[in-house]
Amino acid sequence: MEAISKFIRMITFPELFKGMAVTAKYFFQRKVTEQYPDQKTILPYRTKGKLHVDIDKCISLCRFCEKVCPEGCIKVFPPPKELAKTDKRPVEFYINQEHCLHCGMCVDSCSTGAIHHSDEYELVVIDFKELLGDKETLPYDMIKKHYRWNYLENVPVKIKDSPLKEEEKSQ
Amino acid sequence: MDTLLNLWSTIESWMLAFPVVIYLVKIGILLGCVFAVVAYITLAERRLLGFYQSRLGPNRVGPLGLIQPVADGLKCFLKEDIVPLNSNPLLFRLAPVFAFFPPFAGFAVFTFALPWVMPNGRTYHYSVADVDLGVLFIMAISSLGIFGLILAGWSSGSKYPLFGSLRSASQMLAYEVPLTLSVISVVMMAGSFRLSDIVAAQQAYKFYFFIPCIIGFVVYFISSVAEMNRTPFDLPEGESEIIGFHTEYSGMRFAFFFVAEYANVVFISMLAPALFLGGYDIPFVNDLALYGAHPNIVSILGVCSYAAKSTIFALFVIWVRATFPRYRYDQLLKIGWLVLLPIALANLFVVAGIKLFLLK
Repeated sequence: MEAISKFIRMITFPELFKGMAVTAKYFFQRKVTEQYPDQKTILPYRTKGKLHVDIDKCISLCRFCEKVCPEGCIKVFPPPKELAKTDKRPVEFYINQEHCLHCGMCVDSCSTGAIHHSDEYELVVIDFKELLGDKETLPYDMIKKHYRWNYLENVPVKIKDSPLKEEEKSQ
Repeated sequence: MDTLLNLWSTIESWMLAFPVVIYLVKIGILLGCVFAVVAYITLAERRLLGFYQSRLGPNRVGPLGLIQPVADGLKCFLKEDIVPLNSNPLLFRLAPVFAFFPPFAGFAVFTFALPWVMPNGRTYHYSVADVDLGVLFIMAISSLGIFGLILAGWSSGSKYPLFGSLRSASQMLAYEVPLTLSVISVVMMAGSFRLSDIVAAQQAYKFYFFIPCIIGFVVYFISSVAEMNRTPFDLPEGESEIIGFHTEYSGMRFAFFFVAEYANVVFISMLAPALFLGGYDIPFVNDLALYGAHPNIVSILGVCSYAAKSTIFALFVIWVRATFPRYRYDQLLKIGWLVLLPIALANLFVVAGIKLFLLK
């Protein structure tokens, strides 16, 4: 009897049809392909993308980001000492995004939250000089035009409750 | 209309003076259609495989990726053609041709529909050469395709292609006999080797031969997948893991093997409906001419019906490819000789019994 049932299983291949049902199920499922230039991925908050600097927040004399950067790709030029008493904003701020590792150490070390990752991830350029960010190109207003930029609002408690944020709100 | 008919009668008189012209025209049309279908079945397979794997497949070249086959052909055409130093140069160059011609030659004996009737009463058949040993011719010519694979591996002068050829030879031992036996059951039912007679017999019996020969149909399907060298029996090439017979080929010569594989798919998908699914017979209608339809309409609907049946078969083959992993070649031999061969023989006796006692 067992031999007969084994033979029937051998000639009717029930397992094969189970497999085909599985692939048929996948055939009608939603596809996971993202067609990149047409559909852009919505990246999660805290994506470690291209760096940006809020020049108005930067106090420039600490130069923490410059010291902590493992690649040495950040260069901050603080104002002369007499000016710094009233206006601490940097005279010039360079980030070489070509060498940037997106490690986030500058972001962690910044005492005023001036330097941040954005969710811009398209770093392919024709000329490397395009990746050299300076005072003009680093502020996130430049990036905001093209990208969704709302993660500051969604970052949890710590930065939201920081005095700087309060100050911004009061203005 | 009259001028057109006059023009046609002059053309016809010329063609009757040189009958070879008719054959050349028919061959041209047939090859054109087959090449177009082969080009688009590659695209269909790549897109459908994508769907089965939750991807989209190639859809960037043209609308829905419809110009992709042209891009593939151009790419293969422009690539460098390498002949390895170790190879046997003559056989290395001949092998793609050997693999290439059998499926295309096999199309010659198909009949695609009932004959087309011209206004002056002359009939034209939808076939190049409807020979009375058509099935035998197909069996012979499709077995020739294996020579191309074996020659390709052997003449490459490299060990991995040789292993591919070895697997291909062992695979041929496994599937040829069950395949032939399952086709023989259909020939027994129809009483003729001619493909149009087989279809006519299915029309006369008012049922398709996959009903009495259901076991034969399953055996035929499994062994024809092996004949097409496709997953789960793609031992000779093994695109992704094991290295196949065309490892040393590049550019246009590789494209020949590629086209040959897909031409084989089209060939088998055209043969199976003729043998088992009623060919150009329109399902549930039996004979449209009985309802007073014009014979030309019947023949056009027949072509559509045939195309639909073979498309469904080809889609099923792609579905099978998307599902199953590959068998080892000892497993394939085991399936061929210990499972398929006894079943095919039993099917032969069953069909003989049906033919003798049930259908008098």
